[in-house]
Amino acid sequence: MREIVVEHLARVEGHGDIEVVVEGDAVKRAVLRIYEGPRFFERILIGKSYYEVPDITARICSICPDPYQVASSRAIEKAMGIRVDRQVEALRELQLISDVIHSHALHLFFLALPDFLGYKDAIGMAAQYPETVKLALKVKRAGNAIKEVITGRTVHGVVTKPGGYTKVPRAEDLERLRKQLESSIDGAREAIRVFSSLKMPEYSLDDNLYIAVDPGEHYGYSGEYLLVSDGTRHPVEKYMDLTNEVTVEHSSAKHSSYKGSSFMTGALARLLLNEKRLYGEAKESYESLRDKIDPRNPFSNNMAQAIELLYSVQRAMDIIDGLLDEGIKDKLMVEVKPRAGEGIAVVEAPRGLLYHHYKLDDNGKVVFANLVTPTAQNAANMDKYLRIAVRNLKDLSDDELKLKLEMLVRAYDPCISCSVHLTRIGV
Amino acid sequence: MGKLRAAFYSLTGCQGEYLTILGMEDILLDLLSLVDIAEFKLASSKEYDGKVDIAFVEGSVSTERDLEYIKRIRGNSKILVALGDCAVWGGIQASTSGQDPKELMRSVYKTEKNLYGFLGEHKGISEVVPVDYEIQGCPIEGKEFARVLIDLVRDVKPELPDYPVCIECKVREIPCLIVERGLPCLGPITVAGCDARCPSYNTACIGCRGPIRDEANVAGELEMLLRKGYDRERILDLMSLFGARYKGLRSLIEGGKS
Repeated sequence: MREIVVEHLARVEGHGDIEVVVEGDAVKRAVLRIYEGPRFFERILIGKSYYEVPDITARICSICPDPYQVASSRAIEKAMGIRVDRQVEALRELQLISDVIHSHALHLFFLALPDFLGYKDAIGMAAQYPETVKLALKVKRAGNAIKEVITGRTVHGVVTKPGGYTKVPRAEDLERLRKQLESSIDGAREAIRVFSSLKMPEYSLDDNLYIAVDPGEHYGYSGEYLLVSDGTRHPVEKYMDLTNEVTVEHSSAKHSSYKGSSFMTGALARLLLNEKRLYGEAKESYESLRDKIDPRNPFSNNMAQAIELLYSVQRAMDIIDGLLDEGIKDKLMVEVKPRAGEGIAVVEAPRGLLYHHYKLDDNGKVVFANLVTPTAQNAANMDKYLRIAVRNLKDLSDDELKLKLEMLVRAYDPCISCSVHLTRIGV
Repeated sequence: MGKLRAAFYSLTGCQGEYLTILGMEDILLDLLSLVDIAEFKLASSKEYDGKVDIAFVEGSVSTERDLEYIKRIRGNSKILVALGDCAVWGGIQASTSGQDPKELMRSVYKTEKNLYGFLGEHKGISEVVPVDYEIQGCPIEGKEFARVLIDLVRDVKPELPDYPVCIECKVREIPCLIVERGLPCLGPITVAGCDARCPSYNTACIGCRGPIRDEANVAGELEMLLRKGYDRERILDLMSLFGARYKGLRSLIEGGKS
C-alpha cells in the first residue's frame, strides 16, 4: 500500500491537504482534505442587525470579500422588499468585476503560472519574465483600484450596505479609474497570450457538469436564475436542489451535488454556459481559442479565467462610461425600514456561485442564515478529478505525483477559508 | 550584513493580511526584496523549517494545530509580529467568546463532538506566547506593515499607534458621527492607524482595528451610546465584533449578566 500526502497546499488560500492511498493497481483514496479551523460565522450572524451583515460576511474571505458583501446586501433587500437605484446596481456590478480582475490576475500569474514555468513562486519567476510580472501586477492593481474607489478598501470594503452605498464615488475618481483600466488591459492580453501558449496537462479528463448564473443580456456575475449544462434553468429560490449539501468525513467543507452528480462552478462553467453573452475583444479571443478549451479538462479553467480577465477590464470601462454619461447621483442609499422577511440571492464570486439566504425578524435582526460557497460546491468535483489523475499517474514518483495533483487542485483556484463552516442552521 | 530572514505564517483566519500585502502591487517586489523570504505559503511553494529573524503571523489560535504551530514558530523566531485582528484579538470569530463550545458545535455542525481540534475559544497570539509587535486591523493597513518591515530591517523599534480613531477624525476635520448624527461609532475605543477610514466614508467605525490596548474606555462608550438611545445588547454586540477578548469589555458583559 502506498500513501501520499501533500501537506498544506501552497499557493491556495487557506489550509488543506491532498491525501492519496493506492493499493496495487487500485486507487483506494484520493481526496482534498480541508482542515481550516471552525469560525462559526453562521452563529455569529444570528441576532445581528441586518446593517452589519455585509461587514461580517466579508470577513469570511479576503480574496472575494466583495461578492459576500453584494450577495448579503441583495438577500437582505429582498427580505425587506427594498429596491435599490439603477446606479447602485451598476456600482455593484463593478464591485463584483473588481474581484474577478484582482482574483484572476492573482491566480493566473502568481498561484498557477509558476508551476507551468518551473518556479516555486512569482518572485523567482520575475527575473526571467520581468515584463509578464510587471503587466500582471498592473492588471491586478486595476482590480484593486476599483475596490478602493467604490468600496473604500482593497480588502473588506467599508461602504456596501443593504440599501446602497454610504459614499458615492466622484466623477473625477471614476475618470482616473477608467484611464488606469485602459492602461492595464495589456496585462489581461498577456494572460491570454501566456496561457494559450502553454500545453495544458491532460492527465485528468472526464465528462463534466457545470452550473453558472444566468446574467441576462451581457456576460456578467449576477442574476436571478441558474443555468445547468444539462440545458435546464432554475430560479435562485430553488438553490437547495442545485447544491444538496452533505457533510463528509474527510473534510470540514461540505460537499455538493446536482441530481447525484458532482459539478463545477467558476470561470469555465460561466464561459461555457454564457459564451454567447460575451462581446468585444474578449469574444474575439474566445472565438480564436475555442479549440484550446476542453470542457472535459479542469485545466481549461485557466484559459476561461484569462478570457474573463480581458472581458472584465473592458466591461468595467463600459460601466464607468455609462455612469459618467448619465452623471452620478450624489446619494445612493435608500431609506431602510426594518421588517421581517426572507431573502435569497446569488452572485458569481471569481471561483463560482455564492448563495446567501437570510430570515430576518421585525427589527431586521438575523434569525436564520445559510451560505453556500463556491469551493464547497467544487469540492466533490475536485475529488473526482483527483481520483482520475491518480489512476493515470500512479507510476510516477511521489514528488512528481504530488506536484501534478497540486496543480490540478490549483486549476480550480480553491479558496479554502470560504469553503468551510457555512451550513444551514435553524433557530 | 546579509538580509534578514523572514517568514509569513497563518493560523485560523481569512488571510486578509496577506491579501493586503499582495495588494500593494506598486511596491510589492521592492518591499519583499528587503528580506529573504523563507516561507510564504499563500504566495510560494518554498518550505523552510529552520530559524528566522522575523516571523509574521496572521490568524487566531483556534485549533490544537494552531497552538502547536504557534509554539514552534515562537521557538524558531527572533522577532514575532502578530498581523491583524485575528492574531491580535482573536478576530471576528472571537466574538463567540464566552459561549459554550458544545453549543457552538451543535449550532453549526449539528454535533457536540469537538471537530477539527477546536480549542473551545479563539485567542489572540499574545494570550498563548510572547509577541514582540502587534499590527492591528481587519485587515491591516498595508502602509503600516511596510513601515514596520522597513523599521525592523533597519533595526529601528517600530512605533505603533496607541490612541483612538477619533484623533484621526479631528485631524481630517470629519464631523463627529456620534455627536452630529447619533451613529453608534466605535472610534473612541478603537486604535487609530486607518486614517479614520469608515467615518471618511460616511459610516460609523465598526472597531475593526480592535480596542486600544489597556486604554479603551468601553464603559464610557457604552454609557454614551445608551444615552443616544441604543440598547445595551446592540452596543455590546457591536463592541464584541472585533474586541470580544478585551478584558474591560468582557468584565462589562459578564457584569451585566450577574
